[in-house]
Amino acid sequence: MQSFQGLILLLSSFWAERGCVLQQPYDLEVGAGTMHPDTFLRVLGPEPWRVAYVQPSRRPADARYGDNPFRLGRHFQFQAVLKPSPHDIQAQYVDSLRAMGIDLGAHDLRFEEDDWEAPTLGAWGVGWQVMLDGMEITQFTYFQQAGGLELDPISVEITYGLERITMFLGLSRNVYDVEWGGGLSYGQVRHQDEVESSKYYFEIADVSFLEEQFAGWEREAQRCLEAGVVLPAYECALRCSHAFNVLDARGAVSATERVALIKRVRDLAVACAEAYVASREKQGYPLLGANREGNADGQG
Amino acid sequence: MAKGELLLEVRSEEIPARMLRPALAELEAGVFDGLASLGLAPRSIDGFFGPRRLCLVLKGSPRREADQRVQQVGPPASAAFDEDGQPTRAALGFAKRCGVAAEALQRVSLDKGEYVAVEVEKRGRPTTEILSELLPRVIAGLSWPKTMRWGSGQGPWIRPIHGIVALFEGEVVAFELFGIESGRSTCGHPVLSPEPFEVKGALDYRRKLERRSVEIDFEVRRERIAAGMRELARGLGGEVVEDPELLDKLTAICEIPGVVGGRFDEEFLALPREVLVTTLRDHQSAFSVEHKGGLAPAFLTVMDRLDDPAGLVQAGNEWVVAARLTDARFFYQEDRKLSLSEHAERLAKLTFHVKLGSYADKAQRIRQLVQILCEELQWGKDRKSAELATGLLKADLTTEMVKEFTSLQGIVGGIYAQADGAHEEVWQAIYDQYLPVTSSGSIPRGRVGMVCGIADRIDTLVGIFGLGLRPTGSRDPFGLRRAAQGLVKIVLEAELPIDLDLVAARAVLLYGDRFERTGDEVLNDLRPFLEDRVRHILGLEGFAYDEIEAGLAVGFGNLPDLRARVQALHGMRNDRGFLSVVLAAKRIANILKDTEEHSFRVELLKDDAERELYESSRDLRAEVEAAEAKGAYDECLTSISHFADVLERFFVEVLVMDEDRDLRQNRIALLQSIQRTLSRTARLTSMVVDRAELRKG
Repeated sequence: MQSFQGLILLLSSFWAERGCVLQQPYDLEVGAGTMHPDTFLRVLGPEPWRVAYVQPSRRPADARYGDNPFRLGRHFQFQAVLKPSPHDIQAQYVDSLRAMGIDLGAHDLRFEEDDWEAPTLGAWGVGWQVMLDGMEITQFTYFQQAGGLELDPISVEITYGLERITMFLGLSRNVYDVEWGGGLSYGQVRHQDEVESSKYYFEIADVSFLEEQFAGWEREAQRCLEAGVVLPAYECALRCSHAFNVLDARGAVSATERVALIKRVRDLAVACAEAYVASREKQGYPLLGANREGNADGQG
Repeated sequence: MAKGELLLEVRSEEIPARMLRPALAELEAGVFDGLASLGLAPRSIDGFFGPRRLCLVLKGSPRREADQRVQQVGPPASAAFDEDGQPTRAALGFAKRCGVAAEALQRVSLDKGEYVAVEVEKRGRPTTEILSELLPRVIAGLSWPKTMRWGSGQGPWIRPIHGIVALFEGEVVAFELFGIESGRSTCGHPVLSPEPFEVKGALDYRRKLERRSVEIDFEVRRERIAAGMRELARGLGGEVVEDPELLDKLTAICEIPGVVGGRFDEEFLALPREVLVTTLRDHQSAFSVEHKGGLAPAFLTVMDRLDDPAGLVQAGNEWVVAARLTDARFFYQEDRKLSLSEHAERLAKLTFHVKLGSYADKAQRIRQLVQILCEELQWGKDRKSAELATGLLKADLTTEMVKEFTSLQGIVGGIYAQADGAHEEVWQAIYDQYLPVTSSGSIPRGRVGMVCGIADRIDTLVGIFGLGLRPTGSRDPFGLRRAAQGLVKIVLEAELPIDLDLVAARAVLLYGDRFERTGDEVLNDLRPFLEDRVRHILGLEGFAYDEIEAGLAVGFGNLPDLRARVQALHGMRNDRGFLSVVLAAKRIANILKDTEEHSFRVELLKDDAERELYESSRDLRAEVEAAEAKGAYDECLTSISHFADVLERFFVEVLVMDEDRDLRQNRIALLQSIQRTLSRTARLTSMVVDRAELRKG
């Protein structure tokens, strides 16, 4: 039986062996691994790139006070991004399942259409949800656009839902019973966080404070962009996005405001994407030709 | 190897299930048309598909194009021969290019003058060569709903392509597409039999795939799945709850048609049946199992493999189903903490449209429209129930269950209302409000459901048109076409004698000052949109276009009345007398074009034929009015058809445009009055009559 941390170790070495930079979780609140700048920004422009990391992903609206055995306000994604997408990437992915100890001779594996779109990032891609015995274990996406920009070369993003996979492999009925490692369960490591975060998101979060935060970080992002510092600008945009998510969970966002706030975040993301591409171009695309392993296969 | 056989297989990563069939049809048509246009049409063409491959087998195409003699035209004769009649340098050059001696040049007369020309033999190209250009073009040109690029910008196609088998009579048709070279190598199931293998032709291909358990024939797969499910359901002591759409979807997502069943805890059977079936179908692509009038705690689905030796596939699916049902039960329990009327109180916070207010506002407008409808229809007895139903109609939009399963909107409200103890008429009206879902679907069961369904749709149509947001082309974000379709279908099917123009006008008033356009602008926009739906539905009922137009021109508001008139026209379609009157009506319309109204004076009648016309027309009007009062439009038209002879005699014997002004104006007045009588039931001049056909009959 694979423990939670065992799975992380395994996937990390699997993708590191395939030329990925082993990055660390981003140290800001994000809703998905895609928002990590090492995905969102690195998929832009012509430079090759391969990266893998764990990303704690916050979905305040999914928080359930630690009561629901399947839903969490914060879960962990393992994410691998390869640019350009290797021609045998599906086979590599299937190998990663074998590496987890899944005997595909005895399971049912299917790729079901599931295109991906992130309105706050001006990004979309096509791909599948990967189903193992009827369970969605991975999102598999070929990015087509990010920050409103057409992508070339194309990156592939593979996102493993770590809790789901560990639960599923052990057929555990409750996420909190999953073995984390070090002799502790997922519940022992994380339950208090889920309970208190839920309480915060749904009952305590100060709406007007968060609204100020949103507006403040938005201004700060613009100032950073004007000063020509892209990554700090993008961090401000991420903070806006998180403030929006908490406001949304708090029930403080009407349908109309929702559209308007999403647009404001997207405008920032798009501006950051454009500024990032310009900054890389100015530097002469430093990684072009650097990541030989990343360029070696595929059809490119 | 069959003669003239082409085997084509395009192997890619998983293509979305819903796109496979249309793509195959387009591939078939493209290859067939491309060959046929060069005289290389195959005798038979078969297509197959699985999630990872599109496949064509053509038989009986010739090996090469037919040879042709073609005329090559060279320089003008004047420039081709000198004064002595000797070929010039231009002529010699042309002959050389064509590979003939100068003596072979002939003079030919063309429109633009005399030229030299030569007949040359054009060898037909080998089919293989033609295919190597045609196939990549057709494959790359398939029109997918959405395409992608991959790697370093390869594509666009629906998903990355991994291999192409292209064999004509066993020989490789060589081409390259998106960096992939065609050949004879393919592979089986990517996990169970990924080793590549080579094929010699179509038969060999099918056999080798079969040996690897891959079945590429959709119909065969579907039949195996259906049979497998029936057998498993019997084993579970029940029957499969049929769902052809789901069966098609499952058949499209597997190459190896295996069936797996599973069970869930009986305590979930306490959930409403609709919730169980929808959870299984939408979240797990699984069929429910019927057992003694209820559901069995079991489900059936498809796996892309033949067997489940370790029981892992079943265990996994059972685990997911349990999680899904736990979620559904959580939503159900959360929802049931409040009564449906308490849920309704939250509608004030749910936006219908930013400029049109909340769902609470909408519910209020629906309530008033429903009262108007009950009054119009003289359904006084239903007013009370209708009032109750409208108060709860949209409440389920605030429930967790509908947020999770939008396809259950209405149904969830109906179930919750029933659980709250609502009267049957009330909960059924809520349950049925979105019916009919398709153009052939059933309409709400009861009167209350019908008026609610009509009021809701009219309110939406008027509201969105009020903002000037009518659908354009394929863009219809508010689903207005479906709303209008459902509205028209309810009214026609239940034969409700309501005036849609009037109801729409009342709906405009209920919006108060929310629109920036005038009520008339809104209604004038909406009317043709609704008329289009009426045309569509009456067309589906089998009425001809001109019959519908003729009826619509006279009246639209009351749809059952419109249909009765169109029905009467349809019945008279082949009546000689009636058709002759139609022609006469067109003639009258021509004569009366641009004339002013004149008054008729009986003493000015001169000829017998016009006196007869006058007298018959008075009888006709009386008959038509009497029949019309009964709604007997067939009788109206029968009377009109008897008018043919009198009209014919009049036009033969009487000149309308007499030189005498009084006589002329009197005859015009007579025709004007007749025109009014003839156009009461339908605008006869819209009818299309084949004169030749009429003369023959």
